[in-house]
Formats: sequence, structure tokens, C-alpha cells
Amino acid sequence: MARWRVMTVDDSAAILTIIAAYLEDSEFEVVAAERDGIMAVERFAQERPDIVLLDLIMPGQSGVETLGRILAIDPDAFVVIVSSLGTEDAVHECLTSGARSFLQKPFTRDDFIDFMRDLTQVA
Amino acid sequence: MGSMFFGQYLLSKGAINREALIDAIERQRNTNLSLVELAVREGCLEPQRADAILTRYRTSDAGLEELCLEYGEIDHEKLNELCRIQRSDWLRIGAALVAGEHLTRDQVEEHLAAFHELQREADQQLEADFRACSDPETARTFVELSIFHLKRFTNGPVKLQALTEDGGGLSSGRRRYAQKLVGDREICCALDLPSQVATVVAQGFIGIPVEDDSEVVIDAVCECVNIIGGHACTRLEANGVRLRPEPPFSTESDERAGDLASSIRACVMAGEHELDVRVFV
Repeated sequence: MARWRVMTVDDSAAILTIIAAYLEDSEFEVVAAERDGIMAVERFAQERPDIVLLDLIMPGQSGVETLGRILAIDPDAFVVIVSSLGTEDAVHECLTSGARSFLQKPFTRDDFIDFMRDLTQVA
Repeated sequence: MGSMFFGQYLLSKGAINREALIDAIERQRNTNLSLVELAVREGCLEPQRADAILTRYRTSDAGLEELCLEYGEIDHEKLNELCRIQRSDWLRIGAALVAGEHLTRDQVEEHLAAFHELQREADQQLEADFRACSDPETARTFVELSIFHLKRFTNGPVKLQALTEDGGGLSSGRRRYAQKLVGDREICCALDLPSQVATVVAQGFIGIPVEDDSEVVIDAVCECVNIIGGHACTRLEANGVRLRPEPPFSTESDERAGDLASSIRACVMAGEHELDVRVFV
């Protein structure tokens, strides 16, 4: 089975745990998990994952700022915003800043895996 | 007297003692089946499918009936039949107390009539309190969403009891999980939870057992507040109010939310525990 290398970025350890559990035994492998935007940019440069799942609301460097720095390293980076915030403003800002998709929390395992598999059709 | 569960009312009136109430709740737990459990018992749903529906129920906005239909194994006719069976088999708290010989049927009927009258008054009072508070729209949004998500994460009954405005202090034995939202207005929403409730919420959210008062619990409940805050922003945006959440935080101190003038306090019962949903505006 093809393995998609995934990096998760969220200040909540609970969300990182949930995503790692959901992706276990799937075609997706979590190669890096960061709780901080600045560290996430460094890890991205090292790991070059296929997909980045990036939280929007984080202390320090926000998700949109982190997105911009990742895209500065690799303009083709495939970054998806995962946030509890689903306002039109937020979704619009993320997509116009270069995010490829947007997923609102919370989500179930089935919905999440379906969403990830849909991503692989375009990633 | 605020809104409350019937068992809680009987306890407050001295009609039953705590042991009787616990016995009755235990009888209900052993008898009452959720729609999904009933569907499995009746052979309408595979157990594996039932687990998927229950997981989805805890983490989405959809109701159980809607999810049963969506998952394709139960049609409208079957669903109606299951609802009918569930209603007819459902052991209410009064009947459970009679079954345990803690009250007679006549005593239950008498207390129930008085309770319904008080509840009507309490519901009217809650409506009046919402209308009278500093920011009714925001308060209602946060309180409704908090109750909605607390029900999902605790997988139990959650009920709004009373709405007041106070100084915003944190009651002893509780931890505050809060989030500021900025934009068109500045707001702070918070859950003030005793540790037992925080643990149940965290376990329901992550799906694995967690230790009381651990960092995992604090982190998970903060994320729950973040979800409530995010969804509140989405709902308020539809009414023309643009807000953006800041990262959630947790504190055990009596911390006020900056210079926000007013604290709307919603007292909520989650099972047998009391907690506060707070909105600082």
C-alpha cells in the first residue's frame, strides 16, 4: 500500500493523539507532529511530508503565518487547515493564502479517513 | 427554584434520599437502551455499524435518528417502529423509584404534578433571564453550544438550571477552561468544571481513559472549549458578528477575563455534577 507521509501541527496534544489514532493502520503515516508553528516550519523543511494538517488558532505563530512560511520553503506544499473555526472569513483567508483544503473540527474517524483519501486524489 | 431533573427535585424535597436516587438511576441504566442499542437488539443494525454511529454521534452535530437513517441500514418505517418500542420500554425515574419501592405510584404522580408546574415556571424564568442579560444573543449561543457539546462528550444528561450575572469568580474545587474571542466585540467564554466532569469530558473527547487532573485532561478540555468557541464564531457570523478565537487557556486562579465588564453565569447539571458555563461580555 502506498504510504502518504503526513505532518500534523496543532497546539492541542489531544488533537494530535486523535489524528495519530485515526491514521493508524491506514495508508497514511504520521512522520512528524508539532505543537508550535515555528517548530513546524523547521520540521517541514527536514521531513518534506506529502500532506501537512495545520491548526489555525495557535499561540505564537498562527496557522496562517505558519502556512506562509511553509509555502515560502516549498510553494507546492500540500497544506490543509484543520480548525474548529468554520467562518466564511477564516475559510476564505486560508484558501487564498495557499491552503489546499479546510476541515472543521470535530470529526469522526470515518469522516477523517474519507477526507484524507479525497485529498490523495488531488495531492 | 431553577430548572432541574425530577430525581434532583425529589431529593431537594426530602421525598427520597441519595441512595434511593442512585438505585433508581442504576435501574434506568440497566433497562433503558439508546436507539442504536435497541436497533442492535432488534437485529436491525450490525454491532460494528452501531459503534460507528455512536462515535459519529459524539463528534458531529447530527442526532441519533438522523445518523441511523444516514448509515443506510434503517429506513423511516423501521426507525418509527424502534422509536415506538423505545418509548414504551423506557423506564422513567419515577417508575424506577416505584420499582425499587422507594415511592408509591400515587406519591410519584403527586410529586410529578408539582414538579411540572415548577418546571414551567423555571423555563419561563430562564427565558426572561436570557432576555434580561447583558448580551442575550451571545449568551444563548455559548450556553446552547456548550450544553450541546457537553452532552456529546459526557454521553449523559446535561441541563441548564439557572442564569445569573455575577462577578465572574471561580468556585473552589473547579478549574476554568476559557477562550477569548476578538473582532467586532470582545468576548470570553469559559467552562468552570470540577475535576470529575473534566475527566469525563476529556475521555469522551479523546476516546481513551485519562488520569484525573492530568495535563491530558486540561489539554483536551481546552480543545473542547476551542471547538465551542469556533462553532460559536460560525453561528454568530450568520448574524453579522465577526469574531476570531484566540488560543484557549486554563487556570485555577480567580482570573477575570481582562476588562470585560459582565459575567453571565449559566449553572448547568451534567448528570449529578454541577458546573458553570460563563460568558464574559
